[in-house]
Amino acid sequence: MTHGHLWDRLADAKARLDPVQSKYRVLFENPTEPEAPASVLVPDPNWMAAALAGDVLPPIDTYLRDQNVPDGQPKEHPYAEPVGAMTEEEAIEYLIKKDISPQVWRDYQGNRTIIKIVPVELIPSDRSFRNAWKISQAEQEIAA
Amino acid sequence: MSTLEVSNLNDGTTTVATTFVTNGSAKMWVNFTGITTTATRDSFNVSSLTDGGTGNTTVTLTNNMNNANYSGYYFTNASVGTAAANFNNQHTGGFGSFTTSSCQAYAYTASAAVDAYQNLCGLFGDLA
Repeated sequence: MTHGHLWDRLADAKARLDPVQSKYRVLFENPTEPEAPASVLVPDPNWMAAALAGDVLPPIDTYLRDQNVPDGQPKEHPYAEPVGAMTEEEAIEYLIKKDISPQVWRDYQGNRTIIKIVPVELIPSDRSFRNAWKISQAEQEIAA
Repeated sequence: MSTLEVSNLNDGTTTVATTFVTNGSAKMWVNFTGITTTATRDSFNVSSLTDGGTGNTTVTLTNNMNNANYSGYYFTNASVGTAAANFNNQHTGGFGSFTTSSCQAYAYTASAAVDAYQNLCGLFGDLA
């Protein structure tokens, strides 16, 4: 295999790519923990650089299949052929599927809006009441 | 990218297997702040940080670990102070849940969770 291991590609990408700070954040609530505050997913700058450059990250489907593989058994994603360059919006969608539970982005059928992609400017910088944050139900438009 | 296949390393007097080096390398590391807004200063093998509430951050990996029995470190100054010596001597900071794809880091002072300025985290173990 010419594409090598994901670990090696990440090391190579970090050496040659400048980090990219995403202009998006993902707000989400876990429907199994209704009392918990909303979570904020922050894309890693080095990961985003790799996603935008292409030929580093494996297909998202490999991560989803690996979720069903028991611990200690061989996983598919480190050895899969990497995908090409993504737009930032495509990278955010990839990251949602990878890092947020399918209970949030795929399975939830309730009426609340429990996930939103928003510009980073919309995340409050005053964290005095951080543990009371919830996603506003008044605004239904998704920023991205 | 070319590959150098070497089974052993020798410095002139001592020979060690290359696995001696790869097994001992950090498989993930990240330096982040939790004040104002959670943000990564620098990292390796991290896809995202998830701010789950005051002092509660989940670090998710790009290349997962082989199993959840890995080890690691997490240091937090447990203080919003930004000076080099700003740390709370009564702080506690530690890991919550471990999975093959993520670990949860908690920053805590003597009395409450805190969004800390300095958070340093790394993992050691076997990669998937």
